[in-house]
Amino acid sequence: MKRPWVAVRDRSPLRASLVWRLVLLAAAWSLAVIILGGVALSTFFDHAAVQRFDNGLAEALDGLVDGASVENAQIVPPAFSNPATLRAYSGVYWEIATLDDAGNVVPASRSRSLWDRILIAPPAVVGAIGRDPGHVVFFDTAGPLRQHLRVAAMQGRLPDFGAPVVFMTAEDRKSVDSAVRTFATAIAISLAVLAAGLITAVFIQVRFGLQPLFALRREVVALRTGESERVTGSYPTELQPLAAELNALMEHTQEVVERQRTHVGNLAHALKTPLSVMIAEAQASPGPLAEVVERQAGTMSAHVDHHLRRARAAARAQGPGDRTPLAPVLDELARTLERIFQDKVSEIEWTCPEDLVFLGERQDLLEISGNVMENACKWCRSFVRVRGDAVSPRQLRLVVEDDGPGLDPAMRTEVLRRGTRLDERTPGSGLGLAIVDELVRAYGGTMSLGGSGLGGLALTIELPRAEA
Amino acid sequence: MRILLVEDDPDLSRQLKRALADAGYAVDHAGDGEEASFLGETEPYDAIVLDLGLPKIDGAAVLEGWRRAQIATPVLILTARGAWSEKVAGFDAGADDYLTKPFHTEELLARLRALLRRSAGHAAPSLSCGDLRLDPRAARATVAGEPLRLTSLEYRLLHYLMMHQGRVISRTELVEHLYDQDFDRDSNTIEVFVGRLRKKIGPERVETVRGLGYRLVAVDGEARRA
Repeated sequence: MKRPWVAVRDRSPLRASLVWRLVLLAAAWSLAVIILGGVALSTFFDHAAVQRFDNGLAEALDGLVDGASVENAQIVPPAFSNPATLRAYSGVYWEIATLDDAGNVVPASRSRSLWDRILIAPPAVVGAIGRDPGHVVFFDTAGPLRQHLRVAAMQGRLPDFGAPVVFMTAEDRKSVDSAVRTFATAIAISLAVLAAGLITAVFIQVRFGLQPLFALRREVVALRTGESERVTGSYPTELQPLAAELNALMEHTQEVVERQRTHVGNLAHALKTPLSVMIAEAQASPGPLAEVVERQAGTMSAHVDHHLRRARAAARAQGPGDRTPLAPVLDELARTLERIFQDKVSEIEWTCPEDLVFLGERQDLLEISGNVMENACKWCRSFVRVRGDAVSPRQLRLVVEDDGPGLDPAMRTEVLRRGTRLDERTPGSGLGLAIVDELVRAYGGTMSLGGSGLGGLALTIELPRAEA
Repeated sequence: MRILLVEDDPDLSRQLKRALADAGYAVDHAGDGEEASFLGETEPYDAIVLDLGLPKIDGAAVLEGWRRAQIATPVLILTARGAWSEKVAGFDAGADDYLTKPFHTEELLARLRALLRRSAGHAAPSLSCGDLRLDPRAARATVAGEPLRLTSLEYRLLHYLMMHQGRVISRTELVEHLYDQDFDRDSNTIEVFVGRLRKKIGPERVETVRGLGYRLVAVDGEARRA
């Protein structure tokens, strides 16, 4: 089957295919929503994780503030049980500093883990905690061993100590950062899977949803190729009117073709009686004028026949495929030809399976077999044999034999060659096979001549066969 | 010889009348279907030349009317429509010959002569078996007045069975009497033709007598055509 829509595929997919259009639109929308959701989720998680981390830092800071005391104007840090504060560069640190009169931070005491380093608060933080003593401010800073430290800082006062004191606890944020990263990765993977699933679902949905549209297209192709006469499937309410319109259009086309055909037929047939009169009148009074009239009337008659056939062929090309059982046609023709040739032909023997069906019009089959059988009747001595049989599921064969004198092989090819040259066709002369050849070709069939066991010609025609 | 010419075109009628009269026939002319139908049923013509495209009643309908009324007069039909479907329809309506317009007057006269000669040749009386009738003069058969559409072999088969009705006829006998060609025939094909004949006249009319052959039996009215 031809698939005409393939031709437009090389255009942009959005214009070429409704499926792609719907899938791409749905995919773009879903992707935007999914990406936004992913970003939002990661951000929330990040915030929550940092919040918890900060809470831990603040708690440690409280411990530091509560545990610190002053002895001999010296600040004494509390004794921490956390061994991480003792191990060098462990990532857990604290520091207590004082502010001198100029506002500079002077470290007073720090965790052993800091070893030779101190925590440095940026001036902005120092300013912020100075303005609001007791309030904890968090900030990030670089630590030893390229650690990224999260620091909680607060300014307070200690009893019996004049200068304000700055307390700081710090921890490497590696743990929270890696948790956030792990979460973001997991989210990204699951959302990607979700997106792929969604797009697949949309694709399937669209393919399924548009199924009636594809079915309708197949039916329209069948209409065009003549495999069916009407759109017969039942369609969803959105498509049903279209199907109905297609049927109406089809009927209208057939009507128009039928009307044209009738017009041409009527005109051609109406001309025949006047032509008869002219010919008869010309013959009745012989002379140069009569000769011209008779010859021209003959030509006109040939033209009329030719155009009648043309009109029929045109109508056939438009119309849908018909089915014609072969046996009844052979019976009708045998009967008719036996009457026409009753002085000469004793019998037209025909055999044909009852279920053999020609894929085409009855009129055309009558015209093809009628002319071939008439031809055999003209050339036979008294007997004509006609055989119809199936060659394949898609092809049938008609063999017409006679017991006449036959033709020698060179003449056979000559006859067939002449039959194929349409421009040299002379209606009513020769073997009269030109019309047959034209029709057989129109159906994509073949015609060949051979010798018959009966003594005369055997004419074999192959034509399309319809399933019974 | 008396001929009925049925043609509605005045010029063609005039020409044909003159030609037929010149050839020595007595010619009556009808210009429409009604007149033709009436004349054909009331006057004893030897042959009728009938145009199919007629005013009032179509030529084919006129012809069918005559045949139903058991009028066996040979009829030559004239028509502008030369397609095989129309020829078949014409012969099925009961025509004996067919001429497509435009034609030469000589051709018409020759066909008419052949038609008259042929109908004069048959003089055999008609045969009947129940409501089955066979008229050898017109080479036509009817069942309950309805014309049967038979090929020549089916006609000969029926004719032979009717001439020997009641008797059992073997396949070999049928082969010997039905075929006049000198080449070999498969006697099995007789079964095919008996089958086709049964389909056309009603299966119960031809009995198969196992091992012996066939016999035609008289069946009337209601049991007709399964």
